[in-house]
Amino acid sequence: MKKLYILILIAFSIGFGQENSEKKEAKHSFIFEPDSLFLNIGETGTVTIKFVDEDGNLANNPFYVYGRPRRALESKPRISDSTGVAVVTIKAFKPGKLNLSVRSISQKREDRVMGNMPIEVPFPPLDRIVFNDPILNVYVGTYVNYKTEVFDKANLKRTESKVLLSSSNSDVAEFDSYGNLVAKKSGKITLIASVDDIKESLNIKVSKNPVRKISVSADKDKIRTGDVLQFNAKVMNRANKVIKDVPVTFSYSGRAEYGIGLPASALINKDGKFVAETPGVFTVIAQSGRFSARKTIEVVQRNVRKEVKIVGHGTVSNVNTSDLWVWPGIGKHKGKDFAATGTWSANGEAYFWDVTEPENMYIIDTVTVDARTVNDVKVSENGEVAVITREGASNRKNGFVVLDIRDPFNVKITAEFNDDMTGGVHNVFIYDNHVYAVNNGRKYDVINIEDPSNPFRVGRYELSTPGHGVHDVWVIDGLAYSSNWADGVHVVDVGGVKFSEKNRSNIQYNPFLAMAGQGSPGNPVKLGGMADPNGHNHAAFPFISQSSDKFYLITGDEYGDQFGMAGGYHFLDFTDPKEPKETAVYQVPEAGSHNHWVHGDTLFASYYQGGLRVVDISGELMGDIYAQGREIAFFMSSDPEGFVANRPNVWGTMPYKGLIYFSDMNNGLWAIKLVDNNPMGTN
Amino acid sequence: MKRLFLLVLIIIIGVSGLSAKDYYIYCTAESEDEVALIRFDGKTAHVEKRIPVGVWPVEIEGPHGITVSPDGDYWYLSMAHGLPYGHLYKYKTGTDEMVDRVELGLFPATMGISNATGLIYIVNFNLHGGHTEPSTVSIVDPEEMIEIDRVETGIMPHGSRLLNNGLKHYSVAMMSGMLYEIDAMTMQITRTISTAPPNKKMNAHSGHNMKKMDHSNMKMGKNKRMSNKDKKGIAAMGKMAMAKMDHKMPPEKPTWVYPHPNDNLIYVVNNGTDNVVEIDVKKWEVVRTFKTDKAPYNCEVSQDGKYLVVTYKGAAKTGVWDLKTGKEVAKLKNSRKVTHGVVISPDSRYAFVSVEGIGKEPGAVEVIDLHNLEKVAIAEIGKQAGGITFWKMTD
Repeated sequence: MKKLYILILIAFSIGFGQENSEKKEAKHSFIFEPDSLFLNIGETGTVTIKFVDEDGNLANNPFYVYGRPRRALESKPRISDSTGVAVVTIKAFKPGKLNLSVRSISQKREDRVMGNMPIEVPFPPLDRIVFNDPILNVYVGTYVNYKTEVFDKANLKRTESKVLLSSSNSDVAEFDSYGNLVAKKSGKITLIASVDDIKESLNIKVSKNPVRKISVSADKDKIRTGDVLQFNAKVMNRANKVIKDVPVTFSYSGRAEYGIGLPASALINKDGKFVAETPGVFTVIAQSGRFSARKTIEVVQRNVRKEVKIVGHGTVSNVNTSDLWVWPGIGKHKGKDFAATGTWSANGEAYFWDVTEPENMYIIDTVTVDARTVNDVKVSENGEVAVITREGASNRKNGFVVLDIRDPFNVKITAEFNDDMTGGVHNVFIYDNHVYAVNNGRKYDVINIEDPSNPFRVGRYELSTPGHGVHDVWVIDGLAYSSNWADGVHVVDVGGVKFSEKNRSNIQYNPFLAMAGQGSPGNPVKLGGMADPNGHNHAAFPFISQSSDKFYLITGDEYGDQFGMAGGYHFLDFTDPKEPKETAVYQVPEAGSHNHWVHGDTLFASYYQGGLRVVDISGELMGDIYAQGREIAFFMSSDPEGFVANRPNVWGTMPYKGLIYFSDMNNGLWAIKLVDNNPMGTN
Repeated sequence: MKRLFLLVLIIIIGVSGLSAKDYYIYCTAESEDEVALIRFDGKTAHVEKRIPVGVWPVEIEGPHGITVSPDGDYWYLSMAHGLPYGHLYKYKTGTDEMVDRVELGLFPATMGISNATGLIYIVNFNLHGGHTEPSTVSIVDPEEMIEIDRVETGIMPHGSRLLNNGLKHYSVAMMSGMLYEIDAMTMQITRTISTAPPNKKMNAHSGHNMKKMDHSNMKMGKNKRMSNKDKKGIAAMGKMAMAKMDHKMPPEKPTWVYPHPNDNLIYVVNNGTDNVVEIDVKKWEVVRTFKTDKAPYNCEVSQDGKYLVVTYKGAAKTGVWDLKTGKEVAKLKNSRKVTHGVVISPDSRYAFVSVEGIGKEPGAVEVIDLHNLEKVAIAEIGKQAGGITFWKMTD
């Protein structure tokens, strides 16, 4: 019987394939009985599907059946009989407008006929509407926005549900199309939120607006572009008593300093924080009800530009360069300075450089391991040990290699570690005799290297979210900051430093250190984090602002689009680690972000095809950093002798002894410095 | 006389020119993010094109498996690395322009297209990680490039081929030591079998202990300087993790499966025990075992059913076996280390072998003349030559 089935199938497939395909497409079709289905989640239904020719006769050709999207429907059987008939039992697993798809089986693609049947699976019934922090007392003449969320019986948030807001008495107050309640006169209303047959109501009191006066002030009359200035509005009643619960709306108008048509560009948030991108004269308006007040300020150019001077460059012309590290020599090499660079998609080499005289930097040793990419190089705090990563090993047993670099002129391989790292180690960090090795794209392992010749695993950090990944980890003061693509940045206690007078200021401003003490290298404990809705989180660096009371994590994107690498750096305000929020972004429009480093109040940003960028991140940060003129310098590291000639592609950077070292993927190692010779002075 | 000689010469040249065939091969370069199109004219292998693949200019995405649609109009490529899931790409042959892609599982690798269903069956190798979780075979509609189903098989599935009638799909799982048969129509596993040769089967699941194999660096018990926090950490971390590493793997580590053109026999390459086993499809048992050189990896049977060509990854050689006698009739040294894949031209004349190389060394495609059992040509391509597939022959 089985043989017969196969024979029929093959014979038909071949015969079917030999006919004219255009004719076939026109003549064959699927009949679904019924032609649509309506199923609740978990319910089953049955449909008879026939594959027929132009006369309605069975085509005697099998077809297969599948639900779309995948895992939304279960269909049994998955294939028809050889005559072209299937009685399919369908079970619904996910809600939505789904499809049962069919496709005839034939050898030739052009002979295949497809069909679809709609299956509607309704979402679970709605359960409730929730108001988010609603204001219950409003004042005449003000607008109040009410935000709601809808949940269904499965407790899922139903973002597609459009909530209708209405007032029980539109003479007292009514809603506009955007969820703003416009208070007209004193009285009481019931605010009704409804969607389908679900309703929720609030009792709102509309009071006579006591405001008789409003004033607005700020600490300064003149700021620079990029400076965040807090405007404070004071609302008072007839008796000059300050009223605190009356909503105030901030807005601005402005005139740019130069240029016809140049907009006066700025940002003011709902709390009255203002930042300007262009110099000019700006007027901030605070409004409440019928009353408004204004304050005009002057915004001047930030004027932080500095000149870049090339100090030294070591061309790598035969391979792509990857990451770098710079460190001071020890022992007999005390007083000298060294650098290490990796190589990408090449021969598994790491180069060691003498950069004591950066203007004459040169390669002093090369280590070759079984790999194609040495993506990362890191050096221990004491300058004795380096770790290089391995990807593309010929035996697919990747991992990392521990090096003795006490004599950088004669680097020795101490040990290899490749256990459970088949997928390769992409990034590492060395902290307190442990290697934090990001491997397999999924996790980081913590490896003890107290005895560098005998590394062993003591811990592991891996997320449990579906499709999770990790790209980088950076450890400072016993806190590991990992970058996890869509899962964003995670701050993990791997032995957070204890309080001492030496680190008092750090602990004071890094709130995670105040929470530390729960974890160890063998027992990493997550303290906080923030997801990346774009899924681009590639690197992270903690930033204790030296000029404000803010603590940020600066996270870098990595992604490509049709124009090449793209992305920027996000400033996540973690001053309150329980309520982190992104407040600013630095993004060069035409280039892609990669690794970064923060020193003091300066961001050093490797920007691939956009070269190296040096950015002033002093003070509070809000809005579009790039547009605010905070860029101190940029340098396009072009080299006609590079592996890719005359095309900058900056990978990583590290400030060291007053210089900025960076590696360029296309041409090697650079050292530059900033020269402040701005004849206009610095604002 | 002289005229006659010239005429004969012209005719000979003309006839030989007419009868010369061009063979077109696609081969991946896994560490270059390239696919090379190679034309072999019977004497020389020419790299016609090096096609950049993937979407990230600064990450190696790892093109691994490749196949051409039965009508020769499209080629399909698995890209191993993603965030974290890999993709299956679809390209047009000739123009080599990308048409579409679909996200699959962890490290999608080898694939085959069914002659019956037209669907692509592609293993999610999941090379990385603890090698403890079973993975899957994804089934993809190549027209719409949608994944219509996943079938769970074993740990680290690899090799993906179908019978010529397109009705049964076969894949192996390296760390499970099993061959899986999936009904291409119903998309369900119908049979499994250990890939161990008959006399070894008693020991199939007791011969290899990961703890002994790969963990030589973890001499943690001997380390007297281990800090207390690390000791605590090991205890806290991971009975889970250590328990995972304690599982036993069968030693065969099968990496490839290929059906005989007659659809009655299947050849499974046991990379870990240096043999290829011949499995009778009907009896569903191992009927012959070919002891090979070190670490065989891929294999293919010529369409005339005469030869089995096996790549020896660990020996940097390629073996040609006479299937009638069961003898290895040739063993050819490859031009560089790490021999990888093989495809044989439909006329059974040439075997095209991909050789990875090490480090920056270019990969290569070597051509073996199966009539004369000798290497006749080589083409250098990008680093880590891997997946290889036949596109077409032209006169």
